[in-house]
Amino acid sequence: MTAVGAELQRKRQQIERRRGSIYILAVGLFALAWMLPVIWTLVTSFRPEAALQRNLASLIPYPFTTENWAFILKSSQLWKWLGNSAFVSTTHTLAQLTVCSLAAYAFARLDFYFKRPLYILVLIGLMVPFEATFLPVYLLFSNLKLHNTLIALILPGIASSFAVFLLTQFFRGIPLELEEAAMMDGAGRFRIFLIVIVPLSTPVITALAIFTFLGNWNSYLWPIISATSSDVYTIVIGLRKLNQAWGDVNFYGRDMAAAVFTALPIIIFFFVFQRRIISGIAINSGIK
Amino acid sequence: MTGFNVGRAVEACLSLLEAFDPIAEPYRRFHQNLPPKMQQTVTAFAFILPFGVLYAIFTILPIFQTFYISLHKWEIMGTNIRYIGLKNFERLLTRDTQFHQAFEQTILFVALTIPIIFVGLFFALMLNRPVRGIGIFRTIFYLPNIIAVTVIGLIWGRVFASSGRGLINAFLENFDAGPIPFLDQGDLATLVVAFTTLWWTVGFSMLVFLAGLQDISQALYDAAKVDGANSWHQFRHITIPGLRRPFAFLCILQVIASFQIFGQVDVMTGGGPAGNTRTIVYNIFETSFLYFQVGYGTAMAVIMFAVLLVISLFQLALFRDHGVGS
Repeated sequence: MTAVGAELQRKRQQIERRRGSIYILAVGLFALAWMLPVIWTLVTSFRPEAALQRNLASLIPYPFTTENWAFILKSSQLWKWLGNSAFVSTTHTLAQLTVCSLAAYAFARLDFYFKRPLYILVLIGLMVPFEATFLPVYLLFSNLKLHNTLIALILPGIASSFAVFLLTQFFRGIPLELEEAAMMDGAGRFRIFLIVIVPLSTPVITALAIFTFLGNWNSYLWPIISATSSDVYTIVIGLRKLNQAWGDVNFYGRDMAAAVFTALPIIIFFFVFQRRIISGIAINSGIK
Repeated sequence: MTGFNVGRAVEACLSLLEAFDPIAEPYRRFHQNLPPKMQQTVTAFAFILPFGVLYAIFTILPIFQTFYISLHKWEIMGTNIRYIGLKNFERLLTRDTQFHQAFEQTILFVALTIPIIFVGLFFALMLNRPVRGIGIFRTIFYLPNIIAVTVIGLIWGRVFASSGRGLINAFLENFDAGPIPFLDQGDLATLVVAFTTLWWTVGFSMLVFLAGLQDISQALYDAAKVDGANSWHQFRHITIPGLRRPFAFLCILQVIASFQIFGQVDVMTGGGPAGNTRTIVYNIFETSFLYFQVGYGTAMAVIMFAVLLVISLFQLALFRDHGVGS
């Protein structure tokens, strides 16, 4: 009896496993089709221009060439833009974390005059998209003659309402006792913030850092109006300008290599922080 | 590349703090003599100060300036500034057919991108199964979302390019078919931009729904199975109600994001053909930086802001009535 039962169960598992692999195969084929343009882009970047002139619609990199890539990797411009992007996004992120977590600590933990009206003022920012107010910001930088500097790409958006809101919510959830213990030891507020609050908030701070970094790295509207000289392009803007300059006709493969070059660092970034990005979306959407 | 080390950053800050100790002493004595709430107010303002300065300059002040500038004829170089009252708005609302077209186009994009949420739900349901190896597909479908709009626009612009220099048309050429004028015909170009937006952002909806699905208690499904509910009933009466919150969240986000479509349009069509894909933000951009009429562009921004505000308040109220808001 038990032998028959075990046999049945084994069979059922086998069927289920087979069903699972069929399912995975179907999803896999769909994913492959979904990603076809990406694969095509990658392949095209390894095909010589003459072959591309003859037939564009091919997924076979034969004849094969690394010429496009050699050109892109030797281009000092692209590396410079990559450096600009890395510097701007890193600085922007660190500044935002510092400035916003300090403010959030005050809103979460201190009892002070004008606290409510000030907090409401911060929340108002959640409803004001940058797209609605970027023109005065543009004029401000014009007046200060700060366009075409990296500072201009770093500053706007550092004081983020969303960041303050998120951090305030999180800091409120940290048990007060921990802070009181530190206060007994004679620590001031700033020291408490540094040795109690910040270390306990590492998960939310890291999630915020990742999304701020990604958002700034990928931002388009502001850098395209502020950075008009090629010295200060971010990689995202640089690719756009190259694309415009080269046009569709002559450097198809080279353009595709530049696109892959632009996407690659952020894809690596994604794989490094994959878990935190995926759980971070749940945090940001307020589901968990 | 393992992120920044929080512990080390804290230590560095602490040692910096100690350097200030001698100066801080007299201040500390003064601080201790204040009444408790005043003490905290001083501390709180010190904590908020850096944020407050930047927030005032880059968020609060620009709100007022936007309204102020919109009442002027204002050219971008700062020359030729003249107060003209509500004339900009009068022209925008009554006479400017280009703005009306951009407004309609934007509404069209909002309508065409709402399905992204449902496709995201479909993807989430497809991947919400306990099959080994399924996690990799979450990564694959989400991946485009973190890539910059210039790359996305470049790739899809070339897939759909109207001449033989586009992937699809080059492919059709092999069969002596086509070319299909994807980007040269207004309605087609609109659909192409909407589809590109779908491909780019659907992974986000998918992940939000996946998180939502995992929050629905398995016990509910088990109970329903005992009661003989089939899978459609389970979906209809457990899954759908359980996903209200992520659904509401995504609706608001999607409408607001689509209202501000700019990058895809700039990269793929430049507002064309014949202004057919020109959105509000693109119109603001053109008016201000191509024709240098910042005053007029700002008036458009005011209208966009007003509409967005109404939409988000309306949506919040709507969802709260249905018990989704909190």
